[in-house]
This record gives sequence, C-alpha cells and structure tokens, in this order.
Amino acid sequence: MIWAWGSLAFWALATALNVWLARAHSRNRAVRLFIPALFGATLLLVWEGLVRSLGVSPVILPPPSMIGVRIAESLPILWADFSQTILKGALSGYLIGCGVAVAVAVLIDRSPFLQRGLLPVGNFVAALPIVGIAPILVMWFGFDWQSKAAVVVVMVFFPVLVNMVAGLKATDALQRDQMATWSASYWQGLFKLRMPAAMPFLFNGLKIATTLALIGAIVAEFFGSPTRGMGFRISTAVGQLDLPLVWAEIAVAAFAGSAFYGLVAVIEKGVTFWHPSQRGRA
Amino acid sequence: MRSVLPILTVVLAIIVLWYGATVALNAQWTRDQAARAGVEVGFSEIVRDTLAQTRPKLPAPHQVAAELYQSTWVEEVFGRRGIVATGTLSNRSLIYHGWVTLSATMLGFAFGTGLGILLAIGIVHSRAMDMSFMPWAIASQTVPILAIAPMVIVVLASIGIKGLIPKAIIAAYLSFFPVLVGMVKGFRAPDAMQLDLLRTYSASRARTFWQLRLPSSVPYLFASLKVGIAAALVGTIVGELPAGASAGLGARLLSGSYYGQTIQIWAALLAAATLAAGLVVIVGAIERVVLGRMGMRS
Amino acid sequence: MKRLMTSVFALTAMAGSAYAADSVTLQLKWVTQAQFAGYYVALEKGFYDEENLDVTILAGGPDIAPTQVIAGGGADVVIDWMPPALAAREKGLPLVNIAQPFKSSGMMLTCLAETGIKTPADFKGHTLGVWFFGNEFPFLSWMSTLGLSTAGGADGVTVLKQGFNVDPLLQKQADCISTMTYNEYWQVIDAGIAPDQLVTFKYEDQGVATLEDGLYVLEANLADPAFVDRMVRFVRASMKGWKYAEANPDEAAMIVLDNDETGAQTEGHQKRMMAEVARLTAGSNGALDEADFNRTVATLMAGGSDPVITALPVGAWTHAITDLALN
Repeated sequence: MIWAWGSLAFWALATALNVWLARAHSRNRAVRLFIPALFGATLLLVWEGLVRSLGVSPVILPPPSMIGVRIAESLPILWADFSQTILKGALSGYLIGCGVAVAVAVLIDRSPFLQRGLLPVGNFVAALPIVGIAPILVMWFGFDWQSKAAVVVVMVFFPVLVNMVAGLKATDALQRDQMATWSASYWQGLFKLRMPAAMPFLFNGLKIATTLALIGAIVAEFFGSPTRGMGFRISTAVGQLDLPLVWAEIAVAAFAGSAFYGLVAVIEKGVTFWHPSQRGRA
Repeated sequence: MRSVLPILTVVLAIIVLWYGATVALNAQWTRDQAARAGVEVGFSEIVRDTLAQTRPKLPAPHQVAAELYQSTWVEEVFGRRGIVATGTLSNRSLIYHGWVTLSATMLGFAFGTGLGILLAIGIVHSRAMDMSFMPWAIASQTVPILAIAPMVIVVLASIGIKGLIPKAIIAAYLSFFPVLVGMVKGFRAPDAMQLDLLRTYSASRARTFWQLRLPSSVPYLFASLKVGIAAALVGTIVGELPAGASAGLGARLLSGSYYGQTIQIWAALLAAATLAAGLVVIVGAIERVVLGRMGMRS
Repeated sequence: MKRLMTSVFALTAMAGSAYAADSVTLQLKWVTQAQFAGYYVALEKGFYDEENLDVTILAGGPDIAPTQVIAGGGADVVIDWMPPALAAREKGLPLVNIAQPFKSSGMMLTCLAETGIKTPADFKGHTLGVWFFGNEFPFLSWMSTLGLSTAGGADGVTVLKQGFNVDPLLQKQADCISTMTYNEYWQVIDAGIAPDQLVTFKYEDQGVATLEDGLYVLEANLADPAFVDRMVRFVRASMKGWKYAEANPDEAAMIVLDNDETGAQTEGHQKRMMAEVARLTAGSNGALDEADFNRTVATLMAGGSDPVITALPVGAWTHAITDLALN
C-alpha cells in the first residue's frame, strides 16, 4: 500500500510544482525542459506504484524498473533490432517514399488535369488501412527489410504528396506575377518562390510520415521476417512471456520515434525560419 | 463535376497498370507449374493463366470485383446463411464484417473525439498542462500501438473488458491525437483583437470559451474529425487482426492472409477503403451543412 | 470513461449472478478449425450440458498467447503445446497439464523436392521457414540436436519467421516451411504442388516430437476441490466430444464450420483436417502418457547452448483430473 499512496502523493506534489513552475518561470529554457520531464517521471512512478501495490503479474504488465533492467541487459539485441527495423526498414522506406512523393507532386503540378484526377484517388488510397497491405507486400518483396521499406513507402507517400501539392499552390497571384515581371522561367519560379513557400506544408507531411514510418516497419514484421527486428522481437517475446523485453522494445520504438520527429522538427525550424508559426518563439 | 473525367482517366490508368502487374507478378508461378508438369507455355497461355489463378500473388481486378459481388449480394440473397434465408446477416458476407468494424469504429471515434476535445480544453486553459502534457501526447503516437494491440486486448480481457470496447480503445488511442492537435489550434484561433474585445466586455473565461473560442474552432474540428475517423477505422482493423476468429474486416484480412486467399484479402481491403471513404465523405457533408448554418464557408 | 465503468460493472454483475450451470472458459491455441473439433462437438452435441457445464470457447489467433490469457485470468483452461507451456512454467507461470487429447505430433517440415533436400543432413545452407510465438521451440530443439546453427551462414540454416500461411514455399522465399499434417500441408497441395514434388520430415519420425494440444490450468487452482470437480466434468465431456468427432468426422467438420465466425473456412478443407486430426487423437484416451512427457522434456533440454528449458520440470502434469474423469 505504501507504494500506492507514495506514488499518488508524489503525483500531487509534482503537479503542484509543475503548475507553479509554469506560472512563474515559463520563460526559462531549463524549466521548459524540466516540466515535461517531471510529468513523464510521474507517469512512470505511478505505473510502478500501481503495479507493485496491486500485485499485477509481470506477464501482464511489468513495472518500469524491471523494464529498465531488461533494457540495460539486452542492449546488443535491442541494437540489432533497431538497425534492422529502423535504420534499414523505416529510414530507407521513409527517404524513398518522401522523395518520390515530392517528385510526383512537382510533376503533376504542371497538369491540373492529373491533379484533379490523382488527388481524390490519392485521398481514397490514403484512407486505406495500409496495414492490410503488409501481408501482400511481404509476399512480393520477401522477408528481409526490403518488404518493410516497401510498406513504409506506401504509408508515407500519400500524406506527403497531398501536403506537397497543397504547398505548391500556397503562393498567391501577386507573388507569381512578380516572378513573371522578372521574366523568371518555370523552373526559376519553382525553385526560387514556390518550393520555399511549400516548405511549411511539406514539413507538416514529413512530420506525420515519421510516426507512420515506424509503425509500418514494425507491423510489417508481424507477417514474416528474418529472426531479428523490433516487430519480430515483440511478437516472439510475447509468445515466450518475456514481457519486460516487449516493453523494452516499445520504449526503444517510442524513443526513436520521438527523436526522429524531433529531428524533422529541428530541420523544419531551420528551413522555414521565415514562417509566422516559427516566429515569436525564439 | 469537372473532376469526373480526370478521375476516370486515372482510375482507368490504374486498372490497366494493375492488369499488367497481374501478368508480370503471377507469371513465375505459371512457369514453375509448367516446368513441374514438363510443358512449354507460350505468352498467350501465360496471360490467360495469370488472370485466373486461384491463389495469385496479385489478383486481377475482375477477380476482386467478382469476389466482392459474391461476398455481398450473392451471399446475402442466395446464401444458405444469408439475410434472405435466415433473416440475419451471413457471417460469410463482407456486409456483416463491415458492420462489426463500423460499430467499433464509431464507438472508438466517439471516445477519441471526446478525449481529444477535453484535453485540448485543458491545454488551452492551463499553461502547466500545455507544457507538461503536449510533448508526451506526441510521444504517445510513436508507441507502436499496432504492434502491441494483441497484448492490449489480452490485458483488457483479463480485467473483464471484452467485445467491442477493447477495439474501440485502440481506435480511440489513434483518433484522439489529430483531434487534440486540431482543437488546440482551433481554440487558439481567435486573434488578440477578438480576445481583447471580450475582455473589454469583462467576459468570464467560460463565456469567452463558449462564445468565442468554441465557435471559431469549428472549422478546425471538422478538419481533424476527418483525419480522426480514418485513424479510428485503422485502429479498429488493427484491433481485429489478432482477434483471430472473431468477426470484422480485420479478422477477414487476417484469415485471408492465413489461408493464402489473396482475392479475399483484396476484397476486404477494398471494402475497408470504401468504408473509410464513405465515413470521410459523411463527415465532410456534415461539415458543409454546419459551416453553412454558421455562416462560415470552408 | 463513465460508459466504460458502467459496462465493467454490468459485466461483473453478470458474472456474479448465479448460473444454473458451472461456467468454464476455454481458450484455444488457434482459430476455429477442426483441430479443436472435440470441444465444439461437445458443445453442440450437449455433452457439456449433460455435465452441467456452461462452456465458453474463445478462439485464438496468431498473436494470442494462451499462456498470457490464463495468467491474466481470461480463461479457466487453455489449449497449448507443451514446449511453450513448460517454458512459461520456468518463467514463473505454474501451468499444469491436466489432459492430453493429442497423442501424436502433427508437425513437420515440408521442402520442395527441387531444392535437392533429401535428409536432414542436407539442411545446411538452406532457408527454413518457422513459426514463432512459442511455436519455435520444437524446431530450435531439433536443429540443436542436428548440430546446426540457426544464425545462417554456410554451416547453419537461415531461419525465416514465416507468416501463418504457405506462401513462402510457393513463392520460393524459403526452401522448407513448417507445416501441420492436418492443415498447411494440404494448403500446399491445394495450391497445385503434387505430393511427389515435396519432401516432408515429420518431427514424429525424426524422434524430436513434442506434445501438442494439451489442456493446461494454473497450479494454484488445483487446490480448490470445486475447480477440480469442474475440470473433471469438463475433461470427461471433452473426451466424449473427441471420440464422437473421430467416429463422425464429417459431422464434426460441419459443426466446426458453423462455429467459425470469420466465415473463411471451407467445407472441403475442414473435413480433410478432421480426418487428419483424428489420426493424432486416436491413440489418446485423454490421460497424459508419462513416456511422451519425458521424451518431450528430453528433446527440449537437449538444446545445446540454448535449451528451451534448463531444469527438469516438476509437477508440470497430473493425472488427478483424468483419473477421476475417465475411471
């Protein structure tokens, strides 16, 4: 019981501290990082407290401390799975998918006919539960990371395409006329004006695509894989009731996903420094 | 209506490509079988065979269409267990499975939307919550919930939650995020001038919320609802995948995959996509009506 | 949240109200198919009713671990293979085998003849498809008995986690895949490959067979006389169902088909499956044969550097239920 009450008390204290900090010191950079960190720590502590005090079996839900120990023990496994799933599967698929989507967006940009035809179909396909094609793509591209990359390509393609097409339309007539008065060619107009203007939209799509890429690569491993990879490990470890390992993989996935998202967000900040949404939060 | 011709052109192009891919992908099996039987096959035989295999790598469009027709109209009207024969939907028909999926999706979508809106209200009104919660909301979406959906279902079943609700919870987990992000943006949409105006009226926070923030968030709400409902459908289908023998489009996909019935997989996929598109269109229609009534045209 | 709580209350209230019959929840290892015909027959033919039992059969699936379900209290009794059950026991989940309707193992490795594999000695350097999720233990034990590394390379075998269908073999992504005599093997045949184009290795023939579908319960429950009584009646009715299914395979297959919610099973496949399954259950009256158990344990512990279980399991099975049920 001491765990339950202790963690609840900690929760109350931490919340109070966060409220006070947010009011008094929200301009301070360190405090801005500390507040979410404290909130996360509280979640973990409440989890630990509840699991311990309620006597939840570790094969149902292990406490975070046990997961932490497992992470420390199995770093080589986690690294092998990480490089198989994230570096080979997700990242290559992400780069290919986003690259192709941008290229296609630029290509169909010149043809309103193709845009009117492709976008509704694209939206239809984007609404497809893409996970359903995972077994099909595994059948086509084999068991190794290539099929995972293929799933990722399909998953990220449409969100990026739709955003990029919208982005290329984001310039107004005045700006385009300006380019015309300078007798800029189509390509000059594209690279000097419309591509930069499309960047906020593009990054919106790229950020959505980061989480999709991870999910796609992991889920595709459920339908066949070599004997390594995060999705493989998760499903195998559940079968062996090694739940701490399952959660260790989930933690790695969440961490990698957040880092990936953060990286794209940082690049966005550098590229679209001029956009209103980036100003005023120096 | 201007779009009809372009869409038809694109769809036609896809179908042509699809047929080409069918021949290309299925040819190896035809050649393997011919080699095993010790006969030579010419190009025309390959084409004929690849378009009519029972376990193709990629089924031809007409095979999928036939399967869709079989597993909806024919099964319900003429089937031994169809609605005409028994008065209830047949468990072999996609209509029945689509209905099961739809009901879990709607429940999950309702949970998710409610949760997303409540959290957004909290975040807009409490700086502490904004700063502490928002980064974790983003991190929550990087958890591969799809990969742990089977476990979630087992764990929830162990505390007595079964049936529709576990699937709906997974659907809600995926659909709350777009709603949360959209609504935070929406509640913050009123500019400083409008907020100042209300302050000069000395309006309370609650009043500002109901009369300014809420109405101006409606366009954002609908934009995120469209994303959210598609996400809820994906969540439900993923929740159904591990449930093995129970009903739903996800279960249908899985059993199709398990028995190597590619035609069945494609038919279920198309049914799911149609369902998704239909839901998005319905939300879009409601959006037009509501925004029209409110005097906002999107 | 409020709605969720109400439904939780509704469920607990339902569970609390007195049933006329004692309830038993059974978790299957896999989807509804003739592999579990005995239980469905007992349900439909009223054998459970005769024993005053209200049995709920939960279908499994590729990502449902019966061991985890029973640990979470989601079922009273589960069907599982012995290797994952013993592995779970070593992990601290005390499962006990109370009955063993399957006498023989139906597991085999099926290879394309064109790959040139004729004996297990030829596996070296080939790619083999294996199921995971607790089903990999018999395979891993076999490979370590053969002295083959499963890490790939010229001296070992490359292992693929095959999905739950036979496509890897048809698409030539694997040289051999795991099959069950009663299920996947026939899917390969149905796909259009003739039996003489296939080479199969039965685990049974290779001397590495491990016990398959058995009934497992939590050890702690066996201390409760009421629970034991329910299990005795459950096992008695289930075995009656199995023997009925063996005698009337076609009827049993149709009963299974009617209980399949996905509607994906076909009549032909289920009838054939029932006929094959009947061969595996034929030698068992429900009671576990100790010799089979010892062979399974020996196979699992033989696993070289990485055995499935490290210590001799004690108390992992009991005849207490079957002795009373089958007297």
